[in-house]
Amino acid sequence: MPGDAGALLDGSASELSAAVSGRRVRAADIVEIALGRARAASERLGAFLHVSGDDAREAAREVDRRVSAGEVLPLAGVPLAVKDNINAAGLPTTAGSKILAGFVAPDDATCVARLVRAGAVVTGKTNCDEFGMGSSNENSAYRPALNPWDLSRVPGGSSGGSAAAVAGGAVLLALGTDTGGSVRQPAALCGLVGWKPTYGRVSRYGLVAFASSLDQAGALARTVGDAALAFELMAGPDPRDSTSLPAPVPAVTQTLEEGVRGARIGLLAETESVEGGLHPDVGASFEATAAVLAKAGASVRRVSVPRVSLSVPVYYLVATAEASSNLARFDGVRYGARRSGGTLADLYRETRSAGFGPEVKRRILLGTFALSAGYHDAWYGRAQKVRALLARDFAAAFEEVDAILCPTSPEPAFPLGAKTDDPLAMYLADVFTVPASLAGLPAISVPSGLSSAGLPIGMQLIGPAGSEPLLFRLARCVEAASGVAGLRPPAAVP
Amino acid sequence: MKIERDLVVKVARLAALRLSPEEEATLAGQLTRIVSHFETLREVPDALLAETADAPPSPLRADESGPGLPAGLVEANAPESAHGHFVVPRVVSRD
Repeated sequence: MPGDAGALLDGSASELSAAVSGRRVRAADIVEIALGRARAASERLGAFLHVSGDDAREAAREVDRRVSAGEVLPLAGVPLAVKDNINAAGLPTTAGSKILAGFVAPDDATCVARLVRAGAVVTGKTNCDEFGMGSSNENSAYRPALNPWDLSRVPGGSSGGSAAAVAGGAVLLALGTDTGGSVRQPAALCGLVGWKPTYGRVSRYGLVAFASSLDQAGALARTVGDAALAFELMAGPDPRDSTSLPAPVPAVTQTLEEGVRGARIGLLAETESVEGGLHPDVGASFEATAAVLAKAGASVRRVSVPRVSLSVPVYYLVATAEASSNLARFDGVRYGARRSGGTLADLYRETRSAGFGPEVKRRILLGTFALSAGYHDAWYGRAQKVRALLARDFAAAFEEVDAILCPTSPEPAFPLGAKTDDPLAMYLADVFTVPASLAGLPAISVPSGLSSAGLPIGMQLIGPAGSEPLLFRLARCVEAASGVAGLRPPAAVP
Repeated sequence: MKIERDLVVKVARLAALRLSPEEEATLAGQLTRIVSHFETLREVPDALLAETADAPPSPLRADESGPGLPAGLVEANAPESAHGHFVVPRVVSRD
């Protein structure tokens, strides 16, 4: 039985759930192997900051009891990794920061609760850039996560631990947060499928806030089918998130195999002139993916979204401004690691100065600057207006096409330390992911091939609000042609 | 735009952060490079921005109060608490 359980962990979430639901294997057996793999992925890849124990075993036994009672559970016994800036009741939440050391989540985030209700078992909390601020996972206050395809390279970020956990074989499904690409970019760099929803489609309740007009929960999986299933289960109205969309969730798994014939695809024209250049292997994969979609019956043409070229400055002004406000709550009074001082003001300052890492301080300062008297209109105010222009650009583009295709990242996974001395270079690599975030649009990254060095490449599909069913169908088409989904990275566990 | 060290110090004070002299110097250089790159936003004509409404507000539900977390769960994460309250250094003195 344990051998079967191990094989199931190398398959898909739906297959594993079917096996548990059909009582061919117990969730209790699955979780033992999954916990062992999580510990191995923690040691080898730095994927986890906390690995569950008896709490996960009890959760698995509860799944077995529910299955025995006849409940239908779409994720029966599926091990789930949760990014450490998302609350899972009774487990630590550090958001990758020293300032939250010792914090224990009082309840589940809505996205966690919904997956657990569907039968998922939380096996650990994953490493991430501190407060979701980074594109390489090197800004974790604890340790960097490593890419299972090449241990000398980053897994991407900020959900780098979630990506390493899924690609490394520890789990079939992981939760991440995506403020400016933090699910999609690590998915691309680790050969996974990763999506961010239409803004408001998935509840933000239980997420550690970074930039509230941009933050969204998303998921990373090895297959489009598992990613789509997670979307269906996570999405939907939630009274605990004031920005939750009230509309019912469209079925995406039922329409996944309906093909893409007749879909109008726009190839993002700005891809060719991206600042810093496009890696030639990524450029070749972009063209090959366009050909795949055309062969499947979609019509393909170039489309321009002019303000994409300004999206990095807009994003880093808006997001840091919101972060400077959101992170004001970390003052050592209500939670987290307090540093004593003489006065209350000293306590605030000492706690924050000792608790925040360099990138978080840099972004708080940038955001505070952009909002401060004398600079607000020229920086934050201007960025908000250009953000509105960008949204208008997208609306015009979607008059002509149904979805836009572009690379997720301008390059495959880069070496550890390659960009740590140059924050601006790190920011510029977000050029393809931040536009959809700023416009509140759904987007999905899907593996499209391997580079000449054997590293995964991901392509991104962006659609208008509510277009998730089409995006998953398009991603399914790309997945079927690329052949990356079934590949096992060299450094995967066990 | 050059971010002078004095401006870094001022902004850090607003953000309740204490920086070492080395951090002040490093951040002044990094923020200057970042903000200089962001000046590309000035290339957008003012006339175009003038006719642009601010970003549409997020869709918001009615702001209705609901139950909070049980006090015991909240206090469990507090660095210091007593009698259902968070404890902080004395704010008001007799002097």
